[in-house]
Amino acid sequence: MDVDMIFKIAAVGIIVAVLNQLLVRSGREEQAMLTTLAGLIVVLSMLVTQISNLFGTIKQLFGL
Amino acid sequence: MSISAICFIAVLTAVLSLSIRRQNHEISFLITLCGGIIIFISVLLNISSLFETVKRLFDSASIEQSYIVILLKVIGLCFMSEFAVDCCIDAGQRALADNVSMAGKVLILVSALPLYKDVLNTVLSLTGGSV
Repeated sequence: MDVDMIFKIAAVGIIVAVLNQLLVRSGREEQAMLTTLAGLIVVLSMLVTQISNLFGTIKQLFGL
Repeated sequence: MSISAICFIAVLTAVLSLSIRRQNHEISFLITLCGGIIIFISVLLNISSLFETVKRLFDSASIEQSYIVILLKVIGLCFMSEFAVDCCIDAGQRALADNVSMAGKVLILVSALPLYKDVLNTVLSLTGGSV
């Protein structure tokens, strides 16, 4: 858990945005949509562990 | 983590999120979420020393130990539900946020019920009645 995570997510976002633009310009709207979806899923799977980490910390700390 | 690091992370998250918002709205929200989680966890890791002090204060005031457990539980519920509510509002889901907020309030009330019972018992013992 560090600042690297934010940079990683931003990098994925930029790459996905560029790919999206390229695919839309070359007339492949479906693939562009699928690329966006794939990027979203990758970032979400990175974040889910962190979210569960956060809630686990809160639970353990406050005795919930 | 020091306050300067937290401020740095917050500003960095805001700038990155803003710069990517036009191209990719979802990822922008996820960047904000990630920054929030990092700041939250770094704060939570520092908070345990505070708990020790509060526990010692309660001990020296000879207040019952079960009360502080309830107090900590309620604080945790507040933190958790507030985080979820803010995330939902950021994502533009007001209805969901209100639902989570209501759930948090109800659960806080439920976990604080033993305290109400104790207060009621004290009042009744003063007036000479019983539950």
